[in-house]
Amino acid sequence: MREVAVIGVGQSAFGKFPWRTAGDLGSEAASAALSDAGISPKDIQVAYAARSCDASCTAQGVLKEVGISGLEMVNVENACAGGSTAFRGVWKEIADGHYDVGIAVGVESMTTSPIAGKLIPPEKDDLDGHLGMTMPGMFAMVARRQMEEHGATVEDFAMVSVKNHHHGCLNPKAQYRKEFTVEEVLNSRMICDPVTLLMCCPNTDGAAAAILCSMDVARKHTTKPIRVIASTLLSAGYKYLQEDICASPVGTKAAKIAYEMAGCDPKDIDLVELHDAFANEEILRYEDLLLCKRGEGVELLRSGATKIGGRIPVNPSGGLLSLGHPLSASGVRTVCEIVLHLRDQAGERQTLNAKVGLAQMLGGIVAGLEHGVVAGIHILAR
Amino acid sequence: MAHLVSVWEGTFVEDAEGGRLLGNKCTSCGHIYFPKARFCFNCFDKSMEEVVLSRLGKLYSFTIGRMASTHFQPPYAVGLVDLPEGVRVFAPLKMTEDKPFKVGMDMEVVIEELWQENDKQVIGYKFKPV
Repeated sequence: MREVAVIGVGQSAFGKFPWRTAGDLGSEAASAALSDAGISPKDIQVAYAARSCDASCTAQGVLKEVGISGLEMVNVENACAGGSTAFRGVWKEIADGHYDVGIAVGVESMTTSPIAGKLIPPEKDDLDGHLGMTMPGMFAMVARRQMEEHGATVEDFAMVSVKNHHHGCLNPKAQYRKEFTVEEVLNSRMICDPVTLLMCCPNTDGAAAAILCSMDVARKHTTKPIRVIASTLLSAGYKYLQEDICASPVGTKAAKIAYEMAGCDPKDIDLVELHDAFANEEILRYEDLLLCKRGEGVELLRSGATKIGGRIPVNPSGGLLSLGHPLSASGVRTVCEIVLHLRDQAGERQTLNAKVGLAQMLGGIVAGLEHGVVAGIHILAR
Repeated sequence: MAHLVSVWEGTFVEDAEGGRLLGNKCTSCGHIYFPKARFCFNCFDKSMEEVVLSRLGKLYSFTIGRMASTHFQPPYAVGLVDLPEGVRVFAPLKMTEDKPFKVGMDMEVVIEELWQENDKQVIGYKFKPV
């Protein structure tokens, strides 16, 4: 297996743009990634694109706008981990020696999708979906267990939102660049008790793209290639195996595989971008990623370690909560954020002396399986 | 006149006390499933027998939805109920005047209309505080 590098990253504006097509958003990101890499569209040999809503030939539709056509293109849907899946797809193509240069794109137009402005339900024929299951509903039930078992309070959940909105203020690409107080988060509209509006990621349109290549190619373009040192993608087991809904067996398994592949420990990670679709979720993902022991996520949050400037900044981009969450774009966008920090190009939100970063995505809900049905993790190093 | 349809065939049965959920059990390893599994996901044995699950369970978690879901207008309650057979069931919860939901409280199955659409009255299971 060959070592793979990321030599270009790009992100479109994130926000509510119902007048912009997926092609328009995706090409903004792809074009930015090509410029960042300093390569020509004709250098691209393979492409993967992820999209969840209204998807049809996404890669072809996006990439024709930037002068890329006539090559192998694969389109994927994998819930919130769609972007991670596309990134991993290109990584595998290059690691396995099929191609030397490829592009991964994640794009979503949430405001024009059938779920715009709604609570995201499972697939339309899902039993639990008919019975009232929604993403915020699931995380509200999880939140109640965190309060029962881990001593978490609604103020802790609000604090995650306050932290990530503060981070978002430092990111020119964030959808919401606004500070909030714990009281404002708690007093925002109730969505699914105890989860309030400001504890939920917003509906967002946007795209992200990354250019991956073999080390040989990377060295021709840069003296500082960012290496992909781990890539994992796993699907969940049956629901009866998830006794505690606060724990993600698939998330933990994916993390262990990733650390082993990268040859590092959780303590070696300098920053993390993860799936904070709901504020309370971020606390659990600390535990899945072994940044702390099971049940100690709340303490890690309260210690301030996960703020910018802390021991292990989590979601310095502003996370899904303030940056926004175009479902399939986020898995690529999180990798892009890690790359910027490893290159020392993250501006005001820069993690000082970042050498190793981790990008995680977890998502999807299917009756009969543990919730969070797909986990994708990438670890990158400079 | 509206005709009755089940939200999901074979998941419940009505009886004198209200109703019960129907699961199935692997005759080889004993694992119990709800809704029914086509075969045992635990040991891959194909011999499954229907099991009438307990009417009573304990509330594992819940939420009150304040925005519409696919079929329910707010406010509506949903939750996870643990049955003694080791099965955790997601279901709508029936709100009562005097018994606010609390983790660990005793719940019982009720069978009733979940929603109406066109000329159909969709019947299914809910849990309510005992």
